[in-house]
Amino acid sequence: MRDRLDRWADPPLLVLASLAEEPRHGYAITQDIADTMGVRLSAGTLYAVISRLESRGLIEPLESDDRRRPYRLTAAGATELAEQSERMHQVASVAQRRLRANYGWAGA
Amino acid sequence: MSARQPRPAQGAGVLARVALGLYPPAWRARYGDEVRALLEDSGAGVRAAAILAWHAVPAWACPARHLYDRPGRMRASLAAVGMAWVLLAGLAAVFVQLAQAQGSSQTLTLASYPVIQWSYWVFDGAVIISVLAVAAGGVPLWLRMFRGARGARGARRPRELACLLAPVVVPVVYLAGSTVIAGLVRQPAARVVPWQPRPVADLANGMIGPWWFLALVVAGFAAAVVSAAGLALALRRLRPDGPAVVLATRAAGLAAAAMGLAGAASIVAAIGLYLWAPADAGYHESWQLAVYLPAVLLAAGVAIISAARGIRAAREPAVA
Repeated sequence: MRDRLDRWADPPLLVLASLAEEPRHGYAITQDIADTMGVRLSAGTLYAVISRLESRGLIEPLESDDRRRPYRLTAAGATELAEQSERMHQVASVAQRRLRANYGWAGA
Repeated sequence: MSARQPRPAQGAGVLARVALGLYPPAWRARYGDEVRALLEDSGAGVRAAAILAWHAVPAWACPARHLYDRPGRMRASLAAVGMAWVLLAGLAAVFVQLAQAQGSSQTLTLASYPVIQWSYWVFDGAVIISVLAVAAGGVPLWLRMFRGARGARGARRPRELACLLAPVVVPVVYLAGSTVIAGLVRQPAARVVPWQPRPVADLANGMIGPWWFLALVVAGFAAAVVSAAGLALALRRLRPDGPAVVLATRAAGLAAAAMGLAGAASIVAAIGLYLWAPADAGYHESWQLAVYLPAVLLAAGVAIISAARGIRAAREPAVA
């Protein structure tokens, strides 16, 4: 079912969530997202997202002598991630409450 | 910061390098090394290359704002609109040949089907407006770039001059060549009334054969692409700035909108002819419409989106 998850997951949100822990470069971001969220981002998708997020000021690059430039979350990025997380939390809460009530779901 | 977890380097792969080459130069300059490093770390398969190539489309259509300054965004918009506009103009020329120029019984048909008649009128008016807008915005910018490329003695820039002359010389050469070829291969008395189904499109009542028509169409699109590429290269090399670029960007917005309207009108007319009056159309199979319609929609979409981005940049205050 992980392939299915790829279609529903929002890559920008995954990248923001990954950078919320610590600054990471491209490969570290893809590894973290694959390990913790079960979604594997390709290089094309990742850098399309990084470009968009950087353009909106939600992440910023750090200085690096290496080609593998790390990125970190900005204050605006943290705010955006918090808002989106809250919204997702509300959706998840409603879904779980209704699953318990109507389908006998015991929870994960 | 997380430790790097390198895999055995496999090389980015030829396909991935080609895919990366599809991106705008500013995007490649900013992210190219990082993408290559990631591909080396994670492996560059065919799928990764295909996804990388796919994301090049939005990188052109929706360029990241932080990669371009205001004039740069207007120039990028002009280059993208120019390419989409010449493709729309080529499609419009094909439409004229296969619909309006078919002649014969069209007078009766247009009286019976006002939708087609109105579509023709809207198409004609929109094309005229679009061409005038291109002339109004394009000529001052072209002249400014031409003066810059010609320069003073010893400062002449021949490559830039060649790029600038392409949008002028190439269409003229194409039109002259196609006129000569059409005259040489003309089929006498090959009118198509009453309608008889034929497998491939014909030029203006079958005056030249379908394969010659197809060859001229392909050559025409090639000439259009070369012309637009010349303009785009000139914009990139000469980096014009100032009121001429702002005027050209605004004119490009009008030109794109008008050509989009012309494309929509041609779609209405083309479908109307196909359904109600196939005898007046130079196309007789649905696949020909199936190629034409998405091509118009795609080119019009790129032109209008790119023009809107350019106009947004033009509205921003200039940085001193």
